[in-house]
Amino acid sequence: MYAIEINQLSKVYKNGVQALDGFDLCVKEGDIFTLLGENGAGKSTLIKILTTYLKSTSGTVKMLGLDLNKEADKIRKQIACVFQQTSIDTFLSLEENMLFQGKLYSIPNDEAIKRMESLITVFGLSSYRNLPVSSYSGGVKRRLDIALNLMSNPKILFLDEPTVGMDVQSRNAMWDMVRKIRSELGTTIFLTTHYLEEAEVLSDSICIMKKGKNIVWGSRQKLTKLLDINYIELCLLNINIKKIEKYLCNKFPKWKLILKDSSIYIQNDKDIMDLLLKVLLQEKIQFESIGYVKPSLEDIFIQVLEEANI
Amino acid sequence: MIFFSMLYRNIKWRVHNWLTILFTIVQPILWLILYSTVASSTMKSTLSINYTSFILPGLMFLVCFASSCSCGIMNYIMKQEGSFNRLLIAPVSRDTMILAQVTEAILCSFFEVVLITFISLFLGVKISFTIASFMMIVLVLFLSSFLIASLGYSLSLKLPNDMVYQTMMNAIVLPIFFLSSALFPVDKIKGILGVIVQWNPFTHSIDLVRSVMLHQEIVLQDIFFTMGMLIILCCLSFLWARNSLKKEMEV
Repeated sequence: MYAIEINQLSKVYKNGVQALDGFDLCVKEGDIFTLLGENGAGKSTLIKILTTYLKSTSGTVKMLGLDLNKEADKIRKQIACVFQQTSIDTFLSLEENMLFQGKLYSIPNDEAIKRMESLITVFGLSSYRNLPVSSYSGGVKRRLDIALNLMSNPKILFLDEPTVGMDVQSRNAMWDMVRKIRSELGTTIFLTTHYLEEAEVLSDSICIMKKGKNIVWGSRQKLTKLLDINYIELCLLNINIKKIEKYLCNKFPKWKLILKDSSIYIQNDKDIMDLLLKVLLQEKIQFESIGYVKPSLEDIFIQVLEEANI
Repeated sequence: MIFFSMLYRNIKWRVHNWLTILFTIVQPILWLILYSTVASSTMKSTLSINYTSFILPGLMFLVCFASSCSCGIMNYIMKQEGSFNRLLIAPVSRDTMILAQVTEAILCSFFEVVLITFISLFLGVKISFTIASFMMIVLVLFLSSFLIASLGYSLSLKLPNDMVYQTMMNAIVLPIFFLSSALFPVDKIKGILGVIVQWNPFTHSIDLVRSVMLHQEIVLQDIFFTMGMLIILCCLSFLWARNSLKKEMEV
Protein backbone atom coordinates (compact mmCIF):
# COMPACT_ATOMS: atom_id res chain seq x y z
CA MET A 1 0.00 0.00 0.00
CA TYR A 2 1.15 3.52 -0.74
CA ALA A 3 1.56 6.06 2.05
CA ILE A 4 1.67 8.92 -0.45
CA GLU A 5 0.19 9.09 -3.96
CA ILE A 6 0.75 12.28 -5.92
CA ASN A 7 -0.91 12.82 -9.26
CA GLN A 8 -0.19 15.76 -11.61
CA LEU A 9 0.54 18.15 -8.75
CA SER A 10 1.18 21.77 -9.71
CA LYS A 11 1.90 24.86 -7.69
CA VAL A 12 2.06 28.35 -9.12
CA TYR A 13 2.78 31.03 -6.52
CA LYS A 14 0.88 34.30 -6.67
CA ASN A 15 4.05 36.03 -7.92
CA GLY A 16 3.91 33.76 -10.99
CA VAL A 17 6.72 31.36 -10.04
CA GLN A 18 5.87 27.79 -11.00
CA ALA A 19 7.36 25.60 -8.27
CA LEU A 20 5.72 22.31 -9.23
CA ASP A 21 4.74 21.30 -12.73
CA GLY A 22 2.63 18.17 -13.10
CA PHE A 23 4.53 16.23 -10.44
CA ASP A 24 3.76 12.50 -10.02
CA LEU A 25 5.02 10.24 -7.26
CA CYS A 26 4.16 7.27 -5.05
CA VAL A 27 5.82 6.36 -1.76
CA LYS A 28 5.33 2.92 -0.24
CA GLU A 29 4.31 2.55 3.39
CA GLY A 30 7.29 1.89 5.67
CA ASP A 31 9.85 3.08 3.10
CA ILE A 32 12.58 5.61 3.59
CA PHE A 33 12.04 7.81 0.56
CA THR A 34 14.48 10.48 -0.55
CA LEU A 35 13.71 13.47 -2.70
CA LEU A 36 16.84 14.84 -4.34
CA GLY A 37 17.17 18.14 -6.06
CA GLU A 38 19.14 21.33 -6.28
CA ASN A 39 18.06 24.59 -4.67
CA GLY A 40 14.91 25.86 -6.33
CA ALA A 41 13.93 22.44 -7.65
CA GLY A 42 10.64 22.56 -5.73
CA LYS A 43 11.48 20.20 -2.86
CA SER A 44 10.43 22.57 -0.07
CA THR A 45 7.23 23.53 -1.89
CA LEU A 46 6.35 19.86 -2.28
CA ILE A 47 7.01 19.14 1.39
CA LYS A 48 4.95 22.18 2.43
CA ILE A 49 2.02 20.96 0.34
CA LEU A 50 2.28 17.40 1.67
CA THR A 51 2.39 18.64 5.26
CA THR A 52 -0.79 20.73 4.66
CA TYR A 53 1.10 24.00 5.13
CA LEU A 54 0.47 25.17 1.54
CA LYS A 55 -2.34 24.59 -0.91
CA SER A 56 -1.56 23.28 -4.37
CA THR A 57 -2.83 24.94 -7.55
CA SER A 58 -3.98 21.69 -9.16
CA GLY A 59 -3.53 17.95 -8.98
CA THR A 60 -4.44 15.38 -6.36
CA VAL A 61 -2.62 13.97 -3.36
CA LYS A 62 -3.68 10.96 -1.32
CA MET A 63 -1.94 10.34 1.97
CA LEU A 64 -2.70 7.15 3.91
CA GLY A 65 -5.75 6.82 1.69
CA LEU A 66 -7.05 10.32 2.57
CA ASP A 67 -7.55 13.17 0.11
CA LEU A 68 -5.24 16.04 1.04
CA ASN A 69 -7.58 18.71 -0.32
CA LYS A 70 -10.65 17.44 1.52
CA GLU A 71 -9.32 15.73 4.64
CA ALA A 72 -6.36 17.83 5.73
CA ASP A 73 -7.46 17.75 9.38
CA LYS A 74 -7.43 13.93 9.49
CA ILE A 75 -4.05 13.84 7.73
CA ARG A 76 -2.52 16.32 10.19
CA LYS A 77 -3.09 13.87 13.04
CA GLN A 78 -0.99 11.24 11.27
CA ILE A 79 2.01 13.19 10.02
CA ALA A 80 4.82 15.28 11.42
CA CYS A 81 7.49 17.37 9.79
CA VAL A 82 10.97 18.36 10.86
CA PHE A 83 11.57 21.51 8.85
CA GLN A 84 15.00 22.78 7.82
CA GLN A 85 14.77 25.37 10.55
CA THR A 86 14.37 23.85 14.02
CA SER A 87 10.93 24.53 15.47
CA ILE A 88 11.43 24.19 19.22
CA ASP A 89 10.31 26.90 21.62
CA THR A 90 13.39 28.23 23.34
CA PHE A 91 11.29 29.77 26.13
CA LEU A 92 10.02 26.34 27.19
CA SER A 93 12.08 23.59 28.84
CA LEU A 94 12.80 20.29 27.07
CA GLU A 95 9.94 18.58 28.90
CA GLU A 96 7.53 21.46 28.36
CA ASN A 97 8.30 21.42 24.63
CA MET A 98 7.57 17.71 24.37
CA LEU A 99 4.44 17.78 26.51
CA PHE A 100 3.09 20.78 24.61
CA GLN A 101 3.54 18.84 21.39
CA GLY A 102 1.59 16.01 23.01
CA LYS A 103 -1.22 18.45 23.85
CA LEU A 104 -1.29 19.70 20.24
CA TYR A 105 -2.03 16.14 19.14
CA SER A 106 -4.50 15.49 22.01
CA ILE A 107 -2.37 12.75 23.57
CA PRO A 108 -3.51 11.92 27.13
CA ASN A 109 -1.07 13.22 29.72
CA ASP A 110 0.05 9.81 31.07
CA GLU A 111 0.67 8.52 27.57
CA ALA A 112 2.52 11.73 26.64
CA ILE A 113 4.83 11.37 29.66
CA LYS A 114 5.58 7.73 28.71
CA ARG A 115 6.40 8.67 25.13
CA MET A 116 8.50 11.59 26.28
CA GLU A 117 10.60 9.41 28.59
CA SER A 118 11.12 6.85 25.85
CA LEU A 119 12.08 9.47 23.23
CA ILE A 120 14.46 11.23 25.65
CA THR A 121 16.28 7.89 26.08
CA VAL A 122 16.26 6.97 22.39
CA PHE A 123 17.58 10.37 21.33
CA GLY A 124 20.15 10.61 24.13
CA LEU A 125 18.67 13.77 25.60
CA SER A 126 18.72 12.77 29.29
CA SER A 127 21.73 14.88 30.15
CA TYR A 128 20.13 17.99 28.62
CA ARG A 129 16.88 17.69 30.53
CA ASN A 130 17.61 20.35 33.12
CA LEU A 131 19.50 22.74 30.87
CA PRO A 132 17.81 25.73 29.19
CA VAL A 133 16.87 24.84 25.60
CA SER A 134 18.44 28.08 24.34
CA SER A 135 21.85 26.79 25.50
CA TYR A 136 21.71 23.62 23.35
CA SER A 137 24.06 23.16 20.41
CA GLY A 138 22.62 22.95 16.89
CA GLY A 139 22.89 19.15 16.85
CA VAL A 140 21.08 18.71 20.17
CA LYS A 141 18.37 21.14 19.09
CA ARG A 142 17.92 19.10 15.93
CA ARG A 143 17.63 15.88 17.96
CA LEU A 144 15.07 17.46 20.24
CA ASP A 145 13.17 18.74 17.20
CA ILE A 146 12.92 15.22 15.78
CA ALA A 147 12.00 13.72 19.15
CA LEU A 148 9.33 16.41 19.53
CA ASN A 149 7.83 15.55 16.18
CA LEU A 150 7.73 11.86 17.09
CA MET A 151 5.59 12.52 20.18
CA SER A 152 2.46 11.97 18.11
CA ASN A 153 3.71 8.62 16.70
CA PRO A 154 3.26 9.88 13.13
CA LYS A 155 2.69 7.39 10.36
CA ILE A 156 4.64 9.61 7.99
CA LEU A 157 7.60 11.71 9.09
CA PHE A 158 8.87 14.44 6.76
CA LEU A 159 12.48 15.49 7.17
CA ASP A 160 13.43 18.59 5.19
CA GLU A 161 17.20 18.49 4.64
CA PRO A 162 17.89 17.10 8.10
CA THR A 163 21.67 16.96 7.81
CA VAL A 164 22.35 20.28 6.15
CA GLY A 165 25.30 22.04 7.84
CA MET A 166 26.13 19.03 10.04
CA ASP A 167 29.63 17.61 10.55
CA VAL A 168 30.35 14.01 9.49
CA GLN A 169 29.85 12.58 13.00
CA SER A 170 26.48 14.26 13.55
CA ARG A 171 25.39 13.27 10.06
CA ASN A 172 26.19 9.58 10.71
CA ALA A 173 24.33 9.77 14.03
CA MET A 174 21.36 11.29 12.23
CA TRP A 175 21.36 8.52 9.64
CA ASP A 176 21.38 5.91 12.43
CA MET A 177 18.46 7.72 14.02
CA VAL A 178 16.45 7.75 10.80
CA ARG A 179 16.99 3.99 10.38
CA LYS A 180 16.01 3.44 14.00
CA ILE A 181 12.77 5.43 13.61
CA ARG A 182 11.80 3.30 10.65
CA SER A 183 12.77 -0.04 12.17
CA GLU A 184 11.38 0.58 15.67
CA LEU A 185 8.29 2.63 14.88
CA GLY A 186 7.56 1.50 11.33
CA THR A 187 7.24 5.14 10.27
CA THR A 188 7.33 6.02 6.59
CA ILE A 189 10.09 8.58 6.18
CA PHE A 190 10.07 11.20 3.44
CA LEU A 191 13.30 13.15 3.37
CA THR A 192 14.71 15.79 1.11
CA THR A 193 18.41 16.32 0.58
CA HIS A 194 21.09 17.79 -1.66
CA TYR A 195 23.44 14.91 -0.95
CA LEU A 196 23.55 11.86 -3.20
CA GLU A 197 25.47 9.93 -0.59
CA GLU A 198 22.68 10.42 1.92
CA ALA A 199 20.14 9.09 -0.54
CA GLU A 200 22.37 6.16 -1.39
CA VAL A 201 22.99 5.18 2.24
CA LEU A 202 19.47 5.61 3.61
CA SER A 203 16.82 5.18 0.98
CA ASP A 204 14.63 2.42 -0.30
CA SER A 205 13.39 4.63 -3.11
CA ILE A 206 14.54 7.88 -4.60
CA CYS A 207 13.23 10.68 -6.78
CA ILE A 208 15.30 13.35 -8.47
CA MET A 209 13.40 16.51 -9.29
CA LYS A 210 14.23 19.58 -11.29
CA LYS A 211 12.15 22.66 -12.06
CA GLY A 212 9.14 21.15 -10.32
CA LYS A 213 9.23 17.96 -12.36
CA ASN A 214 9.98 14.38 -11.46
CA ILE A 215 13.05 13.45 -13.52
CA VAL A 216 14.02 10.05 -12.13
CA TRP A 217 12.00 8.03 -9.70
CA GLY A 218 12.54 4.49 -8.57
CA SER A 219 14.39 2.18 -6.26
CA ARG A 220 17.85 2.91 -4.89
CA GLN A 221 19.24 0.33 -7.28
CA LYS A 222 18.14 2.47 -10.19
CA LEU A 223 20.07 5.46 -8.93
CA THR A 224 23.06 3.33 -7.95
CA LYS A 225 23.24 2.25 -11.57
CA LEU A 226 23.63 5.89 -12.52
CA LEU A 227 26.25 6.31 -9.79
CA ASP A 228 28.27 3.39 -11.09
CA ILE A 229 29.12 5.33 -14.21
CA ASN A 230 32.69 6.58 -14.21
CA TYR A 231 33.80 9.75 -15.84
CA ILE A 232 37.20 10.91 -16.94
CA GLU A 233 37.82 14.45 -15.86
CA LEU A 234 40.13 16.35 -18.16
CA CYS A 235 41.22 19.71 -16.72
CA LEU A 236 42.60 21.84 -19.51
CA LEU A 237 45.12 24.66 -19.55
CA ASN A 238 44.16 25.77 -22.99
CA ILE A 239 41.61 28.53 -23.00
CA ASN A 240 40.19 27.29 -26.28
CA ILE A 241 38.33 24.52 -24.51
CA LYS A 242 35.38 24.47 -26.91
CA LYS A 243 37.67 23.79 -29.85
CA ILE A 244 39.16 20.80 -28.04
CA GLU A 245 35.72 19.50 -27.13
CA LYS A 246 34.65 19.83 -30.77
CA TYR A 247 37.77 17.99 -31.88
CA LEU A 248 37.11 15.10 -29.48
CA CYS A 249 33.45 14.98 -30.50
CA ASN A 250 34.36 14.72 -34.17
CA LYS A 251 37.08 12.16 -33.59
CA PHE A 252 35.01 9.98 -31.24
CA PRO A 253 31.33 10.59 -32.06
CA LYS A 254 30.17 7.82 -29.71
CA TRP A 255 31.73 9.38 -26.62
CA LYS A 256 29.47 11.30 -24.22
CA LEU A 257 31.14 14.60 -23.36
CA ILE A 258 30.09 17.21 -20.80
CA LEU A 259 31.70 20.62 -20.73
CA LYS A 260 31.90 22.32 -17.37
CA ASP A 261 34.07 25.34 -16.45
CA SER A 262 37.58 24.53 -17.70
CA SER A 263 37.08 20.77 -17.72
CA ILE A 264 35.68 18.18 -20.05
CA TYR A 265 33.97 15.12 -18.56
CA ILE A 266 33.94 12.02 -20.72
CA GLN A 267 31.70 9.10 -19.84
CA ASN A 268 33.95 6.09 -19.39
CA ASP A 269 31.71 3.25 -20.58
CA LYS A 270 34.66 1.26 -21.90
CA ASP A 271 38.13 1.95 -20.59
CA ILE A 272 39.13 4.78 -22.89
CA MET A 273 41.86 6.34 -20.76
CA ASP A 274 44.78 4.94 -22.82
CA LEU A 275 43.20 6.02 -26.06
CA LEU A 276 42.45 9.50 -24.73
CA LEU A 277 45.96 10.01 -23.41
CA LYS A 278 47.42 8.88 -26.74
CA VAL A 279 45.29 11.42 -28.62
CA LEU A 280 46.14 14.24 -26.20
CA LEU A 281 49.89 13.59 -26.55
CA GLN A 282 49.71 13.17 -30.31
CA GLU A 283 47.81 16.44 -30.75
CA LYS A 284 49.98 18.20 -28.12
CA ILE A 285 46.92 19.30 -26.17
CA GLN A 286 48.10 20.78 -22.88
CA PHE A 287 46.18 19.72 -19.78
CA GLU A 288 46.51 20.32 -16.07
CA SER A 289 45.29 16.92 -14.88
CA ILE A 290 43.41 13.85 -15.94
CA GLY A 291 41.70 11.24 -13.78
CA TYR A 292 38.67 9.13 -13.01
CA VAL A 293 35.81 10.77 -11.13
CA LYS A 294 32.43 9.69 -9.84
CA PRO A 295 29.57 11.79 -11.13
CA SER A 296 28.18 14.48 -8.87
CA LEU A 297 24.47 15.04 -8.49
CA GLU A 298 24.83 17.83 -11.00
CA ASP A 299 26.49 15.51 -13.52
CA ILE A 300 23.69 13.01 -13.12
CA PHE A 301 21.21 15.82 -13.55
CA ILE A 302 22.86 16.87 -16.78
CA GLN A 303 22.86 13.32 -18.05
CA VAL A 304 19.29 12.66 -16.96
CA LEU A 305 18.12 15.97 -18.36
CA GLU A 306 19.79 15.21 -21.67
CA GLU A 307 18.03 11.88 -21.76
CA ALA A 308 14.72 13.42 -20.62
CA ASN A 309 15.26 16.35 -23.00
CA ILE A 310 14.21 19.04 -20.42
CA MET B 1 -8.47 22.09 26.34
CA ILE B 2 -5.84 22.77 23.72
CA PHE B 3 -6.83 26.44 24.04
CA PHE B 4 -5.54 26.54 27.62
CA SER B 5 -2.33 24.71 26.70
CA MET B 6 -1.68 27.24 23.95
CA LEU B 7 -2.57 30.11 26.27
CA TYR B 8 -0.17 28.75 28.90
CA ARG B 9 2.57 28.49 26.29
CA ASN B 10 1.90 32.08 25.17
CA ILE B 11 2.05 33.32 28.77
CA LYS B 12 5.41 31.53 29.15
CA TRP B 13 6.56 33.38 26.03
CA ARG B 14 5.49 36.68 27.57
CA VAL B 15 7.26 35.96 30.86
CA HIS B 16 10.39 34.95 28.93
CA ASN B 17 10.14 38.17 26.89
CA TRP B 18 9.29 40.33 29.92
CA LEU B 19 10.82 43.34 28.20
CA THR B 20 7.70 43.51 25.99
CA ILE B 21 5.74 44.30 29.18
CA LEU B 22 8.21 46.98 30.18
CA PHE B 23 8.28 48.60 26.72
CA THR B 24 4.50 48.80 26.49
CA ILE B 25 3.92 50.26 29.94
CA VAL B 26 6.75 52.77 30.22
CA GLN B 27 5.17 55.32 27.87
CA PRO B 28 1.73 55.38 29.57
CA ILE B 29 3.40 55.68 32.99
CA LEU B 30 5.40 58.66 31.73
CA TRP B 31 2.18 60.21 30.42
CA LEU B 32 0.54 59.60 33.77
CA ILE B 33 3.32 60.98 35.93
CA LEU B 34 4.96 63.69 33.84
CA TYR B 35 2.35 64.88 31.36
CA SER B 36 -0.57 64.91 33.79
CA THR B 37 1.46 66.85 36.38
CA VAL B 38 2.61 69.45 33.87
CA ALA B 39 -0.75 69.79 32.10
CA SER B 40 -2.93 69.78 35.24
CA SER B 41 -2.30 73.46 36.00
CA THR B 42 -3.44 74.46 32.48
CA MET B 43 -6.48 72.18 32.56
CA LYS B 44 -7.58 73.20 36.08
CA SER B 45 -10.01 75.87 34.82
CA THR B 46 -11.52 73.57 32.16
CA LEU B 47 -12.16 70.50 34.30
CA SER B 48 -14.16 69.91 37.44
CA ILE B 49 -11.91 66.99 38.47
CA ASN B 50 -8.18 66.51 38.92
CA TYR B 51 -6.50 66.14 35.48
CA THR B 52 -4.67 62.93 36.40
CA SER B 53 -8.05 61.38 37.20
CA PHE B 54 -9.36 62.67 33.88
CA ILE B 55 -6.62 61.09 31.73
CA LEU B 56 -6.43 57.78 33.62
CA PRO B 57 -9.21 56.07 31.54
CA GLY B 58 -7.50 57.27 28.32
CA LEU B 59 -4.16 55.91 29.52
CA MET B 60 -5.81 52.60 30.41
CA PHE B 61 -6.77 52.35 26.75
CA LEU B 62 -3.27 53.40 25.64
CA VAL B 63 -1.88 50.54 27.75
CA CYS B 64 -4.37 48.14 26.14
CA PHE B 65 -3.41 49.36 22.66
CA ALA B 66 0.32 49.00 23.30
CA SER B 67 0.22 45.54 24.86
CA SER B 68 -2.32 44.25 22.33
CA CYS B 69 -0.01 45.33 19.52
CA SER B 70 2.56 42.85 20.84
CA CYS B 71 0.17 40.05 19.81
CA GLY B 72 1.49 40.42 16.26
CA ILE B 73 5.12 40.55 17.38
CA MET B 74 4.74 36.99 18.65
CA ASN B 75 4.03 35.82 15.09
CA TYR B 76 7.29 37.32 13.85
CA ILE B 77 9.25 35.69 16.68
CA MET B 78 7.56 32.31 16.10
CA LYS B 79 8.28 32.52 12.38
CA GLN B 80 11.91 33.39 13.10
CA GLU B 81 12.28 30.51 15.57
CA GLY B 82 10.38 28.05 13.38
CA SER B 83 7.54 27.07 15.71
CA PHE B 84 4.98 28.86 13.53
CA ASN B 85 5.34 26.12 10.88
CA ARG B 86 4.95 23.38 13.47
CA LEU B 87 1.75 24.91 14.82
CA LEU B 88 0.25 25.35 11.37
CA ILE B 89 0.61 21.68 10.49
CA ALA B 90 -0.70 20.49 13.87
CA PRO B 91 -4.30 19.27 14.13
CA VAL B 92 -5.45 22.42 15.90
CA SER B 93 -8.17 24.72 14.61
CA ARG B 94 -7.05 28.10 13.30
CA ASP B 95 -9.62 29.82 15.52
CA THR B 96 -8.07 28.28 18.65
CA MET B 97 -4.61 29.44 17.58
CA ILE B 98 -5.77 33.04 17.07
CA LEU B 99 -7.91 33.11 20.23
CA ALA B 100 -5.11 31.77 22.42
CA GLN B 101 -2.74 34.45 21.16
CA VAL B 102 -5.30 37.26 21.40
CA THR B 103 -6.35 36.16 24.91
CA GLU B 104 -2.75 36.26 26.09
CA ALA B 105 -2.46 39.86 24.81
CA ILE B 106 -5.69 40.74 26.63
CA LEU B 107 -4.39 39.24 29.89
CA CYS B 108 -1.19 41.23 29.49
CA SER B 109 -3.30 44.37 28.92
CA PHE B 110 -5.25 43.71 32.11
CA PHE B 111 -2.05 43.21 34.08
CA GLU B 112 -0.71 46.53 32.84
CA VAL B 113 -4.03 48.33 33.42
CA VAL B 114 -4.02 47.15 37.04
CA LEU B 115 -0.44 48.37 37.38
CA ILE B 116 -1.13 51.85 35.98
CA THR B 117 -4.32 52.16 38.05
CA PHE B 118 -2.37 51.25 41.14
CA ILE B 119 0.28 53.89 40.38
CA SER B 120 -2.45 56.50 39.77
CA LEU B 121 -3.70 56.01 43.35
CA PHE B 122 -0.45 57.59 44.57
CA LEU B 123 -1.12 60.61 42.33
CA GLY B 124 -4.38 61.55 44.00
CA VAL B 125 -6.80 59.64 41.77
CA LYS B 126 -9.91 58.50 43.63
CA ILE B 127 -11.73 55.50 42.17
CA SER B 128 -14.86 53.82 43.45
CA PHE B 129 -16.54 50.81 41.87
CA THR B 130 -19.67 48.80 42.20
CA ILE B 131 -19.55 45.22 40.97
CA ALA B 132 -21.61 46.22 37.93
CA SER B 133 -19.41 49.17 37.03
CA PHE B 134 -16.27 47.09 37.56
CA MET B 135 -17.58 44.34 35.28
CA MET B 136 -18.53 46.89 32.69
CA ILE B 137 -15.08 48.47 32.67
CA VAL B 138 -13.49 45.01 32.37
CA LEU B 139 -15.77 44.20 29.44
CA VAL B 140 -15.03 47.44 27.56
CA LEU B 141 -11.28 47.00 28.06
CA PHE B 142 -11.56 43.34 27.04
CA LEU B 143 -13.33 44.20 23.80
CA SER B 144 -10.95 47.06 23.01
CA SER B 145 -7.90 44.85 23.58
CA PHE B 146 -9.49 42.05 21.55
CA LEU B 147 -10.08 44.45 18.66
CA ILE B 148 -6.52 45.78 18.57
CA ALA B 149 -4.91 42.36 19.22
CA SER B 150 -6.84 40.71 16.34
CA LEU B 151 -6.00 43.65 14.11
CA GLY B 152 -2.33 43.25 15.07
CA TYR B 153 -2.52 39.51 14.40
CA SER B 154 -3.83 40.09 10.87
CA LEU B 155 -1.34 42.83 10.06
CA SER B 156 1.59 40.74 11.30
CA LEU B 157 0.68 38.11 8.69
CA LYS B 158 0.52 40.75 5.94
CA LEU B 159 3.54 42.94 6.70
CA PRO B 160 7.06 41.76 5.88
CA ASN B 161 8.89 42.37 9.16
CA ASP B 162 8.44 43.54 12.73
CA MET B 163 9.90 47.01 12.04
CA VAL B 164 7.25 47.75 9.40
CA TYR B 165 4.65 46.19 11.69
CA GLN B 166 5.57 48.41 14.65
CA THR B 167 5.52 51.50 12.43
CA MET B 168 2.12 50.54 11.01
CA MET B 169 0.63 49.82 14.43
CA ASN B 170 1.91 53.18 15.72
CA ALA B 171 0.41 54.85 12.66
CA ILE B 172 -2.96 53.28 13.53
CA VAL B 173 -2.96 53.46 17.31
CA LEU B 174 -1.54 56.93 17.95
CA PRO B 175 -4.06 58.82 15.75
CA ILE B 176 -6.87 56.79 17.35
CA PHE B 177 -5.52 57.80 20.76
CA PHE B 178 -4.96 61.49 20.02
CA LEU B 179 -8.22 61.90 18.10
CA SER B 180 -10.27 60.67 21.03
CA SER B 181 -11.29 62.02 24.41
CA ALA B 182 -8.26 60.39 26.07
CA LEU B 183 -6.34 63.58 26.91
CA PHE B 184 -8.87 66.42 26.81
CA PRO B 185 -12.63 67.11 26.81
CA VAL B 186 -13.95 66.93 23.25
CA ASP B 187 -17.32 68.70 23.65
CA LYS B 188 -16.08 71.96 22.17
CA ILE B 189 -14.16 70.57 19.21
CA LYS B 190 -15.80 71.75 15.97
CA GLY B 191 -15.39 71.11 12.26
CA ILE B 192 -13.82 68.06 10.65
CA LEU B 193 -11.76 67.23 13.73
CA GLY B 194 -14.93 67.17 15.82
CA VAL B 195 -16.54 64.76 13.36
CA ILE B 196 -13.50 62.46 13.40
CA VAL B 197 -13.40 62.48 17.20
CA GLN B 198 -17.11 61.63 17.39
CA TRP B 199 -16.72 58.80 14.85
CA ASN B 200 -13.79 57.33 16.77
CA PRO B 201 -15.19 54.31 18.63
CA PHE B 202 -12.64 54.77 21.39
CA THR B 203 -14.00 58.26 22.21
CA HIS B 204 -17.20 56.55 23.31
CA SER B 205 -15.36 53.73 25.06
CA ILE B 206 -13.14 56.12 27.03
CA ASP B 207 -16.09 58.37 27.91
CA LEU B 208 -18.04 55.38 29.15
CA VAL B 209 -15.21 54.12 31.36
CA ARG B 210 -14.56 57.63 32.62
CA SER B 211 -18.17 58.33 33.57
CA VAL B 212 -18.50 54.95 35.32
CA MET B 213 -15.12 55.06 37.05
CA LEU B 214 -15.03 58.65 38.20
CA HIS B 215 -18.65 59.76 38.37
CA GLN B 216 -20.42 56.41 38.94
CA GLU B 217 -22.82 57.35 36.15
CA ILE B 218 -24.25 54.47 34.15
CA VAL B 219 -26.34 55.45 31.12
CA LEU B 220 -27.78 52.29 29.57
CA GLN B 221 -28.09 53.84 26.13
CA ASP B 222 -24.36 54.68 26.08
CA ILE B 223 -23.50 51.19 27.29
CA PHE B 224 -25.52 49.45 24.57
CA PHE B 225 -24.22 51.75 21.86
CA THR B 226 -20.54 51.40 22.84
CA MET B 227 -20.69 47.67 23.53
CA GLY B 228 -22.61 47.01 20.32
CA MET B 229 -20.11 48.97 18.29
CA LEU B 230 -17.12 47.24 19.92
CA ILE B 231 -18.64 43.77 19.48
CA ILE B 232 -19.25 44.38 15.76
CA LEU B 233 -15.69 45.69 15.29
CA CYS B 234 -14.26 42.74 17.25
CA CYS B 235 -16.15 40.26 15.04
CA LEU B 236 -14.89 41.95 11.87
CA SER B 237 -11.34 42.09 13.21
CA PHE B 238 -11.41 38.41 14.23
CA LEU B 239 -12.78 37.38 10.83
CA TRP B 240 -9.98 39.30 9.17
CA ALA B 241 -7.40 37.54 11.38
CA ARG B 242 -8.94 34.19 10.49
CA ASN B 243 -8.89 35.01 6.81
CA SER B 244 -5.27 36.21 6.98
CA LEU B 245 -4.17 32.96 8.62
CA LYS B 246 -6.05 30.95 6.01
CA LYS B 247 -4.31 32.92 3.28
CA GLU B 248 -0.91 31.96 4.71
CA MET B 249 -1.60 28.63 2.96
CA GLU B 250 -2.45 30.28 -0.35
CA VAL B 251 0.66 32.26 -1.23
